[in-house]
Amino acid sequence: MAEKNDLFGELEELSSGFYKQWEQSMTGWWDEVLESPPFLQAMGKNLEGMARGRGAYEEAVDDTLQKMHLPTRGDLTRVLRVASLLEDKLLSMEDTLLKLGDQLVAAEKDAVQARVEAAEARLEAREQLAAMSDRLAGLEARLAAPTKKKKPAAKRATKGS
Amino acid sequence: MVQRAAQVSRFLASDPVRRAPVGQAPHTVLHRQNKARLLHFAPVEATRTPVFVSMPLINTWTVFDLLPDRSVLRSLVDGGTPVYLLDWGAPRPEDAEVTLAELVHGVLARAWDRARRHARAQGAEALDALGYCVGGSFLTLFAASRPVGLRKLALLCTPIDFHASGRLAVWATPEHFPLDAAVDGFGNFPSALMRSSFAWLRPMGQLQRVKSLWDRIEHPGFRDTWAAVERWNGDNIDFAGEAYREYVRRCYFENRLMTGGWTLGGVPVDLGRGEVDVLVLAASRDHICPPEAAFGLAAVWGGRVDTRVLPGGHVGVCLGRGLPAALDAWSC
Repeated sequence: MAEKNDLFGELEELSSGFYKQWEQSMTGWWDEVLESPPFLQAMGKNLEGMARGRGAYEEAVDDTLQKMHLPTRGDLTRVLRVASLLEDKLLSMEDTLLKLGDQLVAAEKDAVQARVEAAEARLEAREQLAAMSDRLAGLEARLAAPTKKKKPAAKRATKGS
Repeated sequence: MVQRAAQVSRFLASDPVRRAPVGQAPHTVLHRQNKARLLHFAPVEATRTPVFVSMPLINTWTVFDLLPDRSVLRSLVDGGTPVYLLDWGAPRPEDAEVTLAELVHGVLARAWDRARRHARAQGAEALDALGYCVGGSFLTLFAASRPVGLRKLALLCTPIDFHASGRLAVWATPEHFPLDAAVDGFGNFPSALMRSSFAWLRPMGQLQRVKSLWDRIEHPGFRDTWAAVERWNGDNIDFAGEAYREYVRRCYFENRLMTGGWTLGGVPVDLGRGEVDVLVLAASRDHICPPEAAFGLAAVWGGRVDTRVLPGGHVGVCLGRGLPAALDAWSC
């Protein structure tokens, strides 16, 4: 049994070694083929042929449908293209509206800020006015008080002399 | 060996790829335009600057949320970052005339604006931005126009120096790639062709995918990951025709992101005008956007550019632990 397992192990190792060698040689071969000008020219021609064939097929189908008075693929793609261009225009308008909305919000913010500042300035002015009127009242009171006290003393002095 | 063959057969017979539960992270749709949607992934408590994510156009966004325990989106959201993700949607024949300018200056710019408004209402004044692959290239074009409210940028596997993008740069030349005939004939560039061309970039990679399943079928975690990646790989999306024409011509044929001299929708493309800090993340085994192609940004971007290589391939990098850690450090 152990001999059998050894044999399988060796076989597996051998086959994986073979595989690696084969893979390496194939990779080298493909590298040469896939970058060789004749191969690339042939592939290019093949692709061109496929594309032209596909184009001709689509044209033929469109012609047939047109002759049968049926909408062609070309008609449908045109309509759908117009629809997507219209969608783009609508989205552009939405973009403009969103930008205008942003500007309005910013302008509103500025206006509110200006109103707050103006109100603050008015409050400050009012406080200053109140303080000034208090000071004026105080001055008036101070001016009024000494004239009443001093007058009788002067009269007495003149009478005595 | 017989046992393993039976295991693989049983697994494949259970239709695991179709049943893989990708893109399950809870989200709401904030905005729609044509097929594109802006998805919002809200954290329980927002503690970081929100991130706007621009996904690739040619695959579904679910690569960032393949499995609950291997999800770039969930790791960002769990870390307290609100995520706004732009899912470009799948173009239909009527979108063949959609131009690259419409995608970048229209869809992407509007989604950015809507995301910023939503974030501002939540108290965030600025957003970070993350782009992956082609989505990153488009985001770079947009970021160079200095959008209001962009704090910094991270680009994951995003080609900038397209002439350094390995085999794709060899294939995508005017001599070998009949771009005009392809767009004129197909309209939108077919996802099936894109899928097969990506597969042909590394032909042996297809075999390795099967072999990896054979080798690791016994690990239940690996089986789930394998099925999720296979599902995502199969979810390719067509590329809007006119946008594809301009993208391939300007980027792959002419390498205009590096050389300049490109006017997109009336706006000159000049990455030198970009001013925000950029973190460029590349994957060490990326065959679609090798590190040299991504790091080209350092030579042309106006702001500061940090570069970092993470282990993995173009898709595998999204499944590793390195990317969430790098984004976690970046979004602080």
